[in-house]
Amino acid sequence: MALRELSSLEKFVGLKRQKKISTQGERKVPVLQNNNGSSLIGLVTISSHLVSEAKKTELLGESVEQRAVVQQWLEYRLTRLDNCSQDEVNIILTELNEYLVDKVYLAGNSITLADALMYYGIHHIISELAVQQKEKYLNVTRWFDHIQHYPGVRHHLPPVIVLRNRVYQSNQH
Amino acid sequence: MTKEQVKGSAEEEQQAAQSKKALKKQQKEAEKAAKKAEKQAKLAADQQTTEEDDFAQDRYGVYALMQSQEKPDRSLVRVCELTPDRAEQTVWVRARVHTSRAKGKQCFLVLRQQQWNVQALVAVGEKASKQMVKFCANITKESIVDVEAVVQKVEQKIESCSQQDVELHIQKLFVVSQAEPRLPLQLDDAVRPEVEGDEEGRATVNQDTRLDNRVIDLRTTTSQAIFRLQSGVCQLFRDTLTKKGFVEIQTPKIISAASEGGANVFTVSYFKTSAYLAQSPQLYKQMCICADFDKVFCVGPVFRAEDSNTHRHLTEFVGLDIEMAFNYHYHEVIDSITDTMVQIFKGLRDNFQTEIQTVCKQYPSEPFKFLEPTLRLEFTEAVGVLEAVALLRSAGVEMGDEEDLSTPNEKLLGRLVKEKYDTDFYVLDKYPLAVRPFYTMPDPQNPKYSNSYDMFMRGEEILSGAQRVHDAQLLTERALHHSIDLEKIKAYIDSFRYGAPPHAGGGIGLERVTMLYLGLHNVRQTSMFPRDPKRLTP
Repeated sequence: MALRELSSLEKFVGLKRQKKISTQGERKVPVLQNNNGSSLIGLVTISSHLVSEAKKTELLGESVEQRAVVQQWLEYRLTRLDNCSQDEVNIILTELNEYLVDKVYLAGNSITLADALMYYGIHHIISELAVQQKEKYLNVTRWFDHIQHYPGVRHHLPPVIVLRNRVYQSNQH
Repeated sequence: MTKEQVKGSAEEEQQAAQSKKALKKQQKEAEKAAKKAEKQAKLAADQQTTEEDDFAQDRYGVYALMQSQEKPDRSLVRVCELTPDRAEQTVWVRARVHTSRAKGKQCFLVLRQQQWNVQALVAVGEKASKQMVKFCANITKESIVDVEAVVQKVEQKIESCSQQDVELHIQKLFVVSQAEPRLPLQLDDAVRPEVEGDEEGRATVNQDTRLDNRVIDLRTTTSQAIFRLQSGVCQLFRDTLTKKGFVEIQTPKIISAASEGGANVFTVSYFKTSAYLAQSPQLYKQMCICADFDKVFCVGPVFRAEDSNTHRHLTEFVGLDIEMAFNYHYHEVIDSITDTMVQIFKGLRDNFQTEIQTVCKQYPSEPFKFLEPTLRLEFTEAVGVLEAVALLRSAGVEMGDEEDLSTPNEKLLGRLVKEKYDTDFYVLDKYPLAVRPFYTMPDPQNPKYSNSYDMFMRGEEILSGAQRVHDAQLLTERALHHSIDLEKIKAYIDSFRYGAPPHAGGGIGLERVTMLYLGLHNVRQTSMFPRDPKRLTP
């Protein structure tokens, strides 16, 4: 899972060379072997490293605030989203839906690493949603659809169909 | 404390624990007895005072049991007729006491008759004594009373009543029938919209309590409106079809063979053999067509022994069935049925607006929308649309060619149709042959499909119909294909041997139509005394 995600990310940031990435432990934590013998451990660490290597540091945020927000969402992805239970899914979707009411991207007005990793992490949840639920979490769906169509982000994942029109009355419950 | 004392108290505690329940019971009983005694004393005292000096004592009281002793020359005015035109008139009204509120020398009553209610007032004065006001205040809710009163205009509209511009000043009041003091459910709780109830933390009545005390629940304005509207559906159905030259028929409900395949039929013992309760008047409608009745319809009970406890299944419901011979194409029949449905919708919209609004107060929903002519989609188109929308998990909603629509898919399709065409009513045509009963005519172009159709309201199925096989030979083949015992349906197949016109038809569930037209969520709300796998009473 994490490996395919990281290779998609590599393509997204425009790295040509395939890195040697393996996993360790039961949680399948990704490990990157550097040429100089040192190794990097963990999804967020490796992702940030790939972004720096591709000289796309704007993806980590351009201002101090944006950088902080990006870090916050990367942490959210690891601690809240990954391996969450079915009950938590609705809480996460509700939180995210409220957060995205007035935003195009998770941090600032341009795409960041936070958007890419949150998109990879939430894909399996969104693809299982019924039409009615996609409409219930309208802002999440809008953001998700935007990111999945952003050039170069969606590599290993199947596209999720999103209706452009509302088919459920907003006053229906 | 000494040791003994400690021991004693421990024992006491034990005893106390053991006899707590008993004590409570005793206390309750004692309280009850005390209350009773108090009441009796009060009554006695009351009687004394009334006997002492009550100038109004023949203006109120409890009627003797009505056994048709007399025919008084008195006309009772209906509550809905109490309007400002009757101001200053003295009228007699028979109604129920909906609520009563005593305030010192006055007592306000809300008198209810069906879905109308009016405020009435008893005040101490020339016409009423203290004792009379007291008597009025003590009348139990839901009792039936006769009142003689003067209609008076009011300065401020009475918001809580249907008759907002007048009130009744009571001069005489007699109780016709007393209700027991404790009602199993409060009518005001039963008409409270759910949302409001949650917000205010006030009681609402749940479905089972309602159905257990159906007689009281049916008195609510909502129930009154629902069943008046339902009666309207039947009336409009009959009128429309009669105008089209249909004949109403009555068919037996005790039958020798299951019409829709052997599953889910009720078996009844019939002398030395067994019989079934009809799942639909299907076979008889068709025999009438073979007997040259040309166009027939039938309103009556149908039975389904399906053990499904859902919001839309009943084991007995009222079927509105149609069958008609056509000339060349079964779409003639579809057009006839859809036109009938549209006439019903129009009739409800034009003549039952009050009832629709009343139900909407408690169960808000969008007004029902339909197109003229009715939208007709083909099954394959619908599946295509659904698959386009629902590329779920790339394997989720991939439907086989001959698969039936699942309920969630039906609902989703209803939504998509509503969004695209803005209609709550449409026809889905050309179902796969495999999912329809044996007497369904196969499609001539593609034998996998059939000349059958369903009609939907708000994305839920209300009618299933088809062109029937009117050729004995083909019918026998189809019956064998469905492994049905030919012996049992011999009479049915034989009816097609002596010249049978091509025909089609369909059956509608009355309760479902009412439910979906009003946008309700449970078919039990539109069945007066519902029958489901778990409910046989009342």
